Amino acid sequence: MATLLEANEVTKIYAKGQRPSLNKVSFNVAESEFIAIMGASGSGKTTLLNVLSTIDTPTSGSIVINGVNLKQLSDTGSADFRRDNLGFIFQEYFLLDSLTIRENISVPLTLQKLPHKKIEKMVRSLAERFGIASQLDKYPNELSGGQRQRASAARAIVKQPSILFADEPTGALDSNSATELLKTLKEANDELHTTILMVTHDAYAASFANRILIFKDGSIIRELLKQDADRRTFYETIAQEVAKLDTER
Amino acid sequence: MNNLSMALKNLKKNFSFYALYLLSVSFVITVFFAFTSFSMNTVMLEKISGNGRVEMMCNVISVFLMAFVVFYMSYSNRFFLRRRTKELGVYALLGYRKTTVLSLLTTENLLVCFGAFIVGILLGIFFHKSIVFGITKLLDLSINNSKIPFFNVNAIAKTACFIFAIVIVLMLSNSRFLFKTSLMGLVRFEKSAERKMKFHAVPSIVGFCCIILGYVLALDILRGDKSVWFSIGYTPIAMLTLVLVVVGTILFISSFLPFVVHISKNNKRKFYTETKIITSPNFIYRMRSNSKTLIMLTLLSAATLTVSSVMALSLYYPIAAVSRMAPSEIECRIENESEIDAIKQIVNEHSSKNDVSFLQTNIYKVTSTSEQVPLEYSAGSSKGDSDNEKILRNAGFECISYSNYMALLEAQGKKGALEQIGGLHDSECILVKYQPASDNAETGNVYPLLIGNEEISVTVIATTLDNPISFANSIGTLIVSDDLYDAIAEEISPETEVLSINGQSIKDNEALFLDLSEYLNDSPYLQGNSHRIHEIFSLSSSTFLLLGFLVILFFIATGSILYFNNLSAISDSKADYEILRKIGYTDRTVKKIIKKQTISFLVFRFYSGW
Repeated sequence: MATLLEANEVTKIYAKGQRPSLNKVSFNVAESEFIAIMGASGSGKTTLLNVLSTIDTPTSGSIVINGVNLKQLSDTGSADFRRDNLGFIFQEYFLLDSLTIRENISVPLTLQKLPHKKIEKMVRSLAERFGIASQLDKYPNELSGGQRQRASAARAIVKQPSILFADEPTGALDSNSATELLKTLKEANDELHTTILMVTHDAYAASFANRILIFKDGSIIRELLKQDADRRTFYETIAQEVAKLDTER
Repeated sequence: MNNLSMALKNLKKNFSFYALYLLSVSFVITVFFAFTSFSMNTVMLEKISGNGRVEMMCNVISVFLMAFVVFYMSYSNRFFLRRRTKELGVYALLGYRKTTVLSLLTTENLLVCFGAFIVGILLGIFFHKSIVFGITKLLDLSINNSKIPFFNVNAIAKTACFIFAIVIVLMLSNSRFLFKTSLMGLVRFEKSAERKMKFHAVPSIVGFCCIILGYVLALDILRGDKSVWFSIGYTPIAMLTLVLVVVGTILFISSFLPFVVHISKNNKRKFYTETKIITSPNFIYRMRSNSKTLIMLTLLSAATLTVSSVMALSLYYPIAAVSRMAPSEIECRIENESEIDAIKQIVNEHSSKNDVSFLQTNIYKVTSTSEQVPLEYSAGSSKGDSDNEKILRNAGFECISYSNYMALLEAQGKKGALEQIGGLHDSECILVKYQPASDNAETGNVYPLLIGNEEISVTVIATTLDNPISFANSIGTLIVSDDLYDAIAEEISPETEVLSINGQSIKDNEALFLDLSEYLNDSPYLQGNSHRIHEIFSLSSSTFLLLGFLVILFFIATGSILYFNNLSAISDSKADYEILRKIGYTDRTVKKIIKKQTISFLVFRFYSGW
C-alpha cells in the first residue's frame, strides 16, 4: 500500500521550559489503514491529531499528507487542504444546530461545488449506510447522541477524504451507539477504503482498528498490529497492554 | 462570595459586552432625561407655549418615550439572559436557589442602570442646555439662563423613579423566565428550532391588499378637495391608513415570509452553494423570531420615516408658501403720499447700502360683465366670515401694468418667472391665481372689462402663481398691457396704492419691520417675507423640537434593535463558525456568510419599511 501520511520527528511545545506535548514523533500511515492512537490523558494523542489535521502547527518536524508538506500551507491553503483532503469526527459531534441532518451532511459537498443532484444522491446513499436515512429532515437536537455522531461521521466521510480523523468519537455515547458507530466506521474503511486515524482511550473502540499506536509523555512507546487475529483476541491484547501501561505509571 | 461581588466580577469579566449595553442604555437615558428636563423647564415653556399645546405634546411624547425605554431595556435584557442561560444553570447546580440567581441578575441590572443613570444625567444636562441654547438663538428669545437650573431636581427624581420601575419590570420578567425553566432546561439549554411557520395564501393576500390600500389612501391626499381625506375627514382616514399598514405588514410578513423562504430553498441549484446552505437554514431556524423582529423593525422604520417626513414637510410647505403670502421683503399700503417719505426714512435708518428698491404700484379695480368670472374675482367679498367682515372686499379684477409686474418680479429675484413671460397685447391679460389649478381652466377666457362707459374685452393668455403683490393687498390681480393700464388710469382712480420694498441689505431685519409696523399702527396690510418666515419658525419651533425628539427616538430604537439582533445572531452562531472553519471554510467565506445574513436582513427591512 502507498504511504498516505508521513510524520517525521514531529515536536510540539506549548510554552518554553515545559515538557513537550509531542516529542519527535515519527510514523507513517498507508492508504486504507485504520489506526487507533491510545494513551492516558495528557499523553499527546489529541495534540497529535490537531497538528496532523492542520488545526494546530508543530514546533518542529514535518508532516506530509498526500504529498503535501503541511508546513508550506498558508491559512487559506490549510482551509482548502482541509476541504479537499480531511474529514473530522469529534466527541462533541460539532453539527450545525440550525441545519437539518441532510443539510449538515451536504455542507462539505457544497464546498466542493458539486451539482445539487449529485449532492442529494450521495447524501441519501451514505445516510442509508449509516442508518440515519429517516432522520435526514430532522435537526441535530431532535436526534439521540448515537444518531448525531453517525450524522457527524457521514458528514466527514461523504466527501471521500484522503484521511478521516476521529477524536474520541465514542466518548459521549452509550455502548450500543458506540458499537454501531464503530461498525459503520469499520465498514467505511473496508468497503470505501477510507483511511482512518482515531484517537481513543477505550480498548474496545481501538480493537476495530488494524494498528494501534500507544502514546506516553508525547512519544510512541509501543505499536500493536492486528494482522490475522480476530477482533476479540486483538481486544484482549490491547486491554493487556493498557493494563500494563497503568501499572507502569 | 455575595451577590454584589459576583455581579461586579461578572460585569468586569464581560466588560466589552456590557460596555455596549451600558452605552446604549446611557444614550436612551440621556434622551429621556433631556426631554424630561425640557418638559419641566417652566421658563422655556412660558416663552414658547401660550395655550398649553407644548405641554400636551410633551405629555404625549413622554408616553412614547417611556414605552420605548421599557421595550428597549426588556429586549436587551432578554438578549443577555439567553446568552447566560447555561451559566445560570451551573449556579443552580452548585446549590444556588433560584431566588439567589434572580437577585444576582437584579443586582447586575441595578449596577448597569445606575451607571447609565449617572452617565445619562451628565450627558442629558448638556443635551438639555444645548436644546435651550438652540431654541433661544433660533427664536431670538430673551431668556434669563440663570433661572434655568443646571440640575433639575424634579427631572432627576422622575428619571430615577422611572429607572427603578424599569429594574422592577426586568426583575419580574427574569423571575418569570427562571421559575418557568426547569433545572435541566437551564443546564442543557441548547438551541432548538422554532415551531415551523406555514405559508397561508389568504392572510398574505389580505396583508398585501391592506398595504396597497394603505398606500392608495395615503396618495389619495394628493387629489386635494376631491380626496377622501377631505370628504370624510383627516383623523378617521389617518387612523384607517395606519391600521391598514400595520395589519397589512403583520399579515404579509408572517404569512408570506415562509413562502419566500420555501421558494428560495426549493431552488436546489442556488441552495447547494457554500454560503446559501448556511444562511437559508439559519434564517428558517429562527424564522418565527426573525419575522417578529422584521415586523417590528419594518413598523419602526415606517414610523421613523413618517415622523421625519412630517417634520420636513411641516417646515417646507409653510416656508415655500411665504413666497406667495409675502412676495416682497416688505410691502405696505400707502394711505397718503407723505407716508412714502417717512417709510423711506425708516428704511434708510436700518440700511446704509443703496441696494434697496422702492416700487409703488397703483392697483385699479375693474368690474366685468362676464357671467363666468374666476373664483378670485369675488374672493373675500361675501359676508359670513367674521374675521374678514371688517375688511370686506369689493368684487372685481385688480389691474396692474405689465411693466410694473416685470419690475416687481425682478426686484423679488424671481428670475425663473421672468424668463417664462412673453409680451402682452392690449387685448390680452395674465390672471394671477390664488390657488393652483391643474386644468388651466381660465386660459382663453374672455373678460369684458368695464372701463368708464366703455367695455374692453381681454383674453387670458396665461395664468400664474407668481403673484407680485401679497394677497393681503390684492386678490384677483390681472396683469394688463401698459397702454390698457394707462387707459384705465385715465378713467378711474386707483383702489389701492402699494409700496414694495426689496433689497439684500434689509433681509431678516426684524427691527425694521417692527419700526414700520409701529409707524403704520399695526396695519394688517403690512407684509414681510423674512418676518413671516420668522413667525412660522416661532409658532412651529416647539412642534419641530418635539418631532425632533421622536425622530431621534425612532432612530435609536431601530438602530439599537438592529444592532442587538445582529449581535445576538452572530454570537449565537459563533460555535458554528468554528465548526465551519474545521470543515474547510476559509475566514473569507465565513465573513461572507455573516455579511450576507446581515445585509439580507437590512435590505428586507429597508424595502418593507419605506
